[in-house]
Amino acid sequence: MEAEAIKMLAAGLAIGLGAIGPGIGIGILGYGAMQAIGRNPEARGPIMTNMILAIAFAEAIAIYALIVAIILALIA
Amino acid sequence: MPKRRGLSRSLPVLIGILFLFILFVVGFISGPLGASLFGDLGLPSWLSVPRPEPKLPAEEVFQLFGFPITNTLLAAWFTIIVLIVIFFAATRKIKLIPSRLQTLLEFAIGGLLSFCQSVAGEKNGRRFFPIVATIFLFVLLNAWLSLIPGFGSIEVITAEGEHVHLLRGANTDINVPLALALVSFVFVEYFGLRSHGLRYLGKFINVGQFFRSLGQLFRGKFKAGLSGLFNGVIDIFVGILETLSELIRIVSFTFRLFGNMTAGEILLLIAAFLVPWVMVLPFYGLELLVGFVQALIFAGLTLVFVTIAVTPHHAEPA
Repeated sequence: MEAEAIKMLAAGLAIGLGAIGPGIGIGILGYGAMQAIGRNPEARGPIMTNMILAIAFAEAIAIYALIVAIILALIA
Repeated sequence: MPKRRGLSRSLPVLIGILFLFILFVVGFISGPLGASLFGDLGLPSWLSVPRPEPKLPAEEVFQLFGFPITNTLLAAWFTIIVLIVIFFAATRKIKLIPSRLQTLLEFAIGGLLSFCQSVAGEKNGRRFFPIVATIFLFVLLNAWLSLIPGFGSIEVITAEGEHVHLLRGANTDINVPLALALVSFVFVEYFGLRSHGLRYLGKFINVGQFFRSLGQLFRGKFKAGLSGLFNGVIDIFVGILETLSELIRIVSFTFRLFGNMTAGEILLLIAAFLVPWVMVLPFYGLELLVGFVQALIFAGLTLVFVTIAVTPHHAEPA
């Protein structure tokens, strides 16, 4: 297999596998937030703020994987 | 005036949808998808978009006294000038019944201040507000101004003869998020040291329990000494982890902002290339949202970390 082919394959695998974890994590966060809002609709503001903050942490991991994929596909 | 009923009420909407559909068909045919389906139809070249080549390190436009000025630096200067002009224009004649621009800025500043105070408390919120609000506004305007037509489309020829875009969103250069992350790191550590003194460093270098238990061993209390020693080693390890997590925070801030902005830019370029006229529009909306959310995240996480650093934590038993 030539280097070009493996590079493309690696880029696809990097972002593909790297986005599984954060996707599941953000889903779990959303589930918890929905449940909390359902129990206590008045606390909607703080719950949403904290949920967005926690989602940013989880999404950062997916962004790391995206950076690796972009570097592999376009630069290296 | 007679009531407009039926088709005449929804006629403007229908015309708008038809117009969008025609644009979509034209764009589809003239883009690369249409070219691969129908072959070369010889359409005018202004209907299609050239293939994007995203280059990650920012390209240099000219040199000033031997210092390379990149297109992202020009965009950052543009953002700074826009911010200064807007705020100067709104605060020139401050009236009790505010003008429209003043109302808009009062809304923004008041919203940011109440956000800071809701996270950090009354006094601390007011204290941390300047840096947090500056970071928020700088990142937000960097992201939003890079969506204006002109960013990434005006090309100049540099001294070496390369074709380079004149302006590029400042957040897509890794130096800008890195600089902001370093600023936020120094901000957190400074306020932590200022409010706790040197005891703040005790969070990271946690050798108290270790030496205390060594002392206990030497004084002959073996069982208490050994268990204390064990806890002391764990404390040192936790201290090292805390230090590492503070330093990793810089990397994580940088790459979160850089990755989101660069990925958004590449997404817009690819969307504009695939179906030239129409497909970009939903992604523009996504970019607006992502710019706002990333600015909020950067400023909000800085605020949260500095609040944690300033809060007195008397959790450890003596």
